[in-house]
Amino acid sequence: MIGIFSYLVFFACIVLILGVMTLGLNLQWGYTGLFNAGVVGFYAIGAYAHAILVTAPRPDLIGNFGLPWIVGIAGAMAASALAAWIIGLATIRLRGDYLAIATFGIATTIQLVTLNWDSLTGGAQGLPAIPRPLSTWFGSPLGFNLFYLGLLIAIVGLVYWALERILRSPWGRVLKAIREDETAAIALGKSAQSFRLQAFVLGSTLMGLAGALYVSFIGFVSPFDFLPILTFQIWAMLIVGGSGNNKGALLGALTIWGIWAASGVLIAKLVPPAYAAQGGAVQVILIGLLLVASLLFRPRGLIGEVPVVSRHADD
Amino acid sequence: MKKWIALSAALVAAVALAPSDAAAQANCPVKIGGVLPLTGSMGPITKKIAESAQLAVEHINAGGGVKGCPVQFILRDDQGQPTVGVDAAKYLVEVERVQAFTGTISSGVTGPIISSITAPSKVVQISCCSTATPFTLDGRSQGYFFRTLPTSKTQAVATASEMARRGLKRTAIIYVNTDFGQDMTRFVKLALPKLGGDIVAEVPYTDNQPSYRAEVTKALAEKPESLLLIGFPKDAVTIVREWLSLGGTQKIALNNSMRVKDFVDGVGGRFLNESFGMDNAQVQGPTVDAFNKAFEEKYKYDSKGPGVHTQYDAMMAIALAMNIAKDLTGPSIKDAVRQIHAAGGATVGTGPEEYKKALELIKAGKPIKYHGATGPIEFDVNGDVTGPALVWKIVNGEIVTDHVISIDQMQALFKRIDG
Repeated sequence: MIGIFSYLVFFACIVLILGVMTLGLNLQWGYTGLFNAGVVGFYAIGAYAHAILVTAPRPDLIGNFGLPWIVGIAGAMAASALAAWIIGLATIRLRGDYLAIATFGIATTIQLVTLNWDSLTGGAQGLPAIPRPLSTWFGSPLGFNLFYLGLLIAIVGLVYWALERILRSPWGRVLKAIREDETAAIALGKSAQSFRLQAFVLGSTLMGLAGALYVSFIGFVSPFDFLPILTFQIWAMLIVGGSGNNKGALLGALTIWGIWAASGVLIAKLVPPAYAAQGGAVQVILIGLLLVASLLFRPRGLIGEVPVVSRHADD
Repeated sequence: MKKWIALSAALVAAVALAPSDAAAQANCPVKIGGVLPLTGSMGPITKKIAESAQLAVEHINAGGGVKGCPVQFILRDDQGQPTVGVDAAKYLVEVERVQAFTGTISSGVTGPIISSITAPSKVVQISCCSTATPFTLDGRSQGYFFRTLPTSKTQAVATASEMARRGLKRTAIIYVNTDFGQDMTRFVKLALPKLGGDIVAEVPYTDNQPSYRAEVTKALAEKPESLLLIGFPKDAVTIVREWLSLGGTQKIALNNSMRVKDFVDGVGGRFLNESFGMDNAQVQGPTVDAFNKAFEEKYKYDSKGPGVHTQYDAMMAIALAMNIAKDLTGPSIKDAVRQIHAAGGATVGTGPEEYKKALELIKAGKPIKYHGATGPIEFDVNGDVTGPALVWKIVNGEIVTDHVISIDQMQALFKRIDG
């Protein structure tokens, strides 16, 4: 019993971290229509910024400042915001698939930089021993995980609340207007480029936050945490959950990661031990089938976008 | 939301009141967890490794299990992705309550499993294949991580010595840009000049690319007379084909991962007659032959391939240590792992009969010396093993063993290089 609970706490932590990323992507794609195919790049910047700021100094590495956890979180958000602003200035005029290709390339570049800038990132060996907040206060892994889960619930709650507020404000309506018809939005006197850039930076900042939360949970970071498959997983979460709906984004994170984990458990339980070596392939097929099925039966996602004009219109 | 908070509060209270040490109970069956990349870029080499683990479990159960219980092996796929591997490991440790753990191959997955799962939960982890040197050295594992294959240093030094013996000059190194590739390159660079070779180019590559023309062209620009390729079979096929088609020499040195038929057939055996490679050697002897024979009988193909022998030894080391340990808690098993090769112990080998013999000795309180599918398995203070190396070559499209560099010769080489 306690084991299952302990696992579920761990699982929930991962889901919430992925949920923060999905919320960021939802702001970019769901509300503004920005096709960011480089999610994992901003996640990596946040992760490494945090790791470099908080890890204890080591003589063979530059960086590693041993700063407090909260400074690492703030630094990670600042670093990914800055990176998104610079990248955004260069690419934000690109539409649709062009932006996708550009951001995909940038994410791959970022991953390769983390792999090759040995003196800063530790290269392929990664950065070990990233301090976990207050971990010395807890005697068992479960105690720490419970504390971290509480922290994550608070952070996700705050992010969710803030996003809901700003997206129902005039600012949020401009984003939707740009997504639906950019020319019309410009004709109404809105600077589409400026709003697109703001949404891009804000969404990427959330991805950076997720990266920082992930490494301070796991305690280790290496370039292999930032393979393009993760971008695909986050996209699957948003599309399956419901693009344009923050609840859908979070539900999507839970559903997709749930499918990923549960299919592994299912295969391990059902496939006879002698065929365990073939079970992995079946699991991948199962994941693919579930994704296709969910898109066929719920094409707008599990919770689709709710047509809301403004919070005053609800009354 | 309120309901959820109330529910979590209730669960927290339940946890706080529950007895915390449930892992120590010796319930049958005894569970051993495993995480391996059954799919993804490592998929082709992992199948045999997983089968080897299954064979070991069969031998263990046929020979008497662990403390009178049969062993249940639960294997999960990490897909080569750290988050997936960490989740699977957490599930095995918490829900399945495995008392020991084996895995995995890619060091990028093994690293986070050590730091976030096995070390904090005090579960012994023995890997067949992760070579990144810092894992056992920088204290992150708190002594809970072991591996049954010699680290990259052994293979790198053996490679350098064989290249020097064959008189290869002006070597270009193309290596996969992972911790494994970087480690190998670092140690080859250290060793080769001292043994009489020289390196003219070092080109890293990223795995899973459709073409490596740029990397190959860069290496060829220095007019190398030989190539050392360090990587994994799928990409290596592409690299060697491009290397040869752009006029590169056929004098190619390879690492252990390329010792698979897929690689030789992918390139074409007739282009590889001057190539050779390195692997961790199975010491010649009855315990090695017994394993090979058992593997071939069960699966109807040979046991050649990276990780196959070391995985068997990882499983056997876990099972023997569990029997030696006074109880099945992590700290007891951890201390027992080093006693599977005790001074003055009676030699025990591979297969169910030998395992049975080992159990009888352990029951009688006598020390044992485990000689496995890769020869004597003796963990040093860090949890590493040293071993002999094997030089293989390709003759008419078949992989054949050329010769073996014994443990004594390896130690002599280490002395020459480390000064």
